[in-house]
Amino acid sequence: MKKFYHLLIIGWVLYSPKFSHASLIEEKNCSACHRLSKVEKEKKGPDLFYAGNKYQDTWLEEYLQNPVTLRKAGTINNPDFLKRELQNPQQHPILNKNDALNITQELMLMTLPGLPEEKINPLTKGQIAKTKYEFERTFSCISCHQSLNLAGKPRGGISGPSLVNAGNRLKESWVANWLKNPKIFSNKSRMPVYKMNNETRLRFTKFIMTLKKENLR
Amino acid sequence: MIKPSLKFIFNYGILMLVIGVSGCGEKKTEKNITPKPPLKTESQTLELGEEVAPEPVVVTAKTRETYQWYCAQCHGIKGKGDGINAKFLTVPPRNHTKAEYLETRTDEQFFKAIKFGGLSVGRAPCMPAWGNTLKDSTIHELVRYIRELCQCEAL
Repeated sequence: MKKFYHLLIIGWVLYSPKFSHASLIEEKNCSACHRLSKVEKEKKGPDLFYAGNKYQDTWLEEYLQNPVTLRKAGTINNPDFLKRELQNPQQHPILNKNDALNITQELMLMTLPGLPEEKINPLTKGQIAKTKYEFERTFSCISCHQSLNLAGKPRGGISGPSLVNAGNRLKESWVANWLKNPKIFSNKSRMPVYKMNNETRLRFTKFIMTLKKENLR
Repeated sequence: MIKPSLKFIFNYGILMLVIGVSGCGEKKTEKNITPKPPLKTESQTLELGEEVAPEPVVVTAKTRETYQWYCAQCHGIKGKGDGINAKFLTVPPRNHTKAEYLETRTDEQFFKAIKFGGLSVGRAPCMPAWGNTLKDSTIHELVRYIRELCQCEAL
C-alpha cells in the first residue's frame, strides 16, 4: 500500500504542469498562431521561441490580460497584410490573471542560448536628440514604426510593430541583438538590415528603450 | 646653333610633354580600374558596387515577390504610392506607375535611391537604404520592374 502511495505521488509530480511538458502553452494552444521553434513554418502571430529574450515579464503579463494592438496592419504573415489598415485588428485572446502569470513564467523560460548581454550607458539629452534625428532621417525607421514625436504624440508608419511603448515591452539586450543580427531570430523580416557601428547600435538600443507610453501627451 | 640654355629648355619641354601624355593615359586606366570609394552617410557605410547593370536584367516572379515583400509596405501592392505606411509619412512615397516624373530619372538614380536610400539622390529620407538587405543584382531587377510599372524609360 505504501508503495502504491509513493507511485501516486511520483506520478502526480511527473504529470503536474510544472514538471511535465503538458504546459499551459500547450493547453492554450498558443502554437496555433505562434512558432515555438525556429524550424516551424511561419505563423501569423509573433514568434515565441525567444520570448524570454525579447519581452519584459511585467509587460507580457499585463498584455495577456489586456491585449493591445501593436501592428495596426496585422502581422506580416497575415494574408491581408499590406492590403489595408485593419479596422478591427484581431485581438489576442484574453487570459485571466492566474493564467497570464503562469504562461508568462513559461514564456520567460523560452530563450535562445548564448545571446550576448550588453551593458549600455544611459544617453545624454544630446545623444537622444541625435538618435531621434537618425531614427527619422538616416535610417528611416519612422517610415514603418510608430514612435513619439516632440509633442509626445505617436508618429510614424504602421507596417512594423509600434515602438511607442517599446521601452516597457522589449528587453534592452534583445533590441541590441536584433539590430546586430536579426537573422538569429527570423529569416523573414520586412525590415532593412542595418550594419550599424557598435556605438550607433547601442545608442539606438538605448533610444528605443526611452520610448514609453508614460511619455504620451 | 642653339644656345645650351635654350637646348635645356627644349629638352625639358619634350620630357614634360612625354610625362604629361603618359600621365593622362595612366589616369584614364586608373579611372577604369579603381573602385569607387564607399559612400558614407552619417552612421552607415555601404560599398558602391557596379553601377552599370549586368546584361540582361530580367524581371522574374522573384523580383515581383521582393517588391511585394519590401517595397509595397510604402509604395503599395500595385506601386501606386499608396502602401499602408503612405499616409503616415511626411513625404508621400513615389507612385511607380506615373511616367511623368520617373522618365526624368535615370536607372542609376533609381539604383542609388534603393541601395543608399532617398537622401543619396537628394530625395526624401523616408526611403531607407536597402544595400545591406538586397543584392546589387536584385536592385537592378527592381529598377527594371519599376520601369515596367511606369511603362517608361529614362528620357
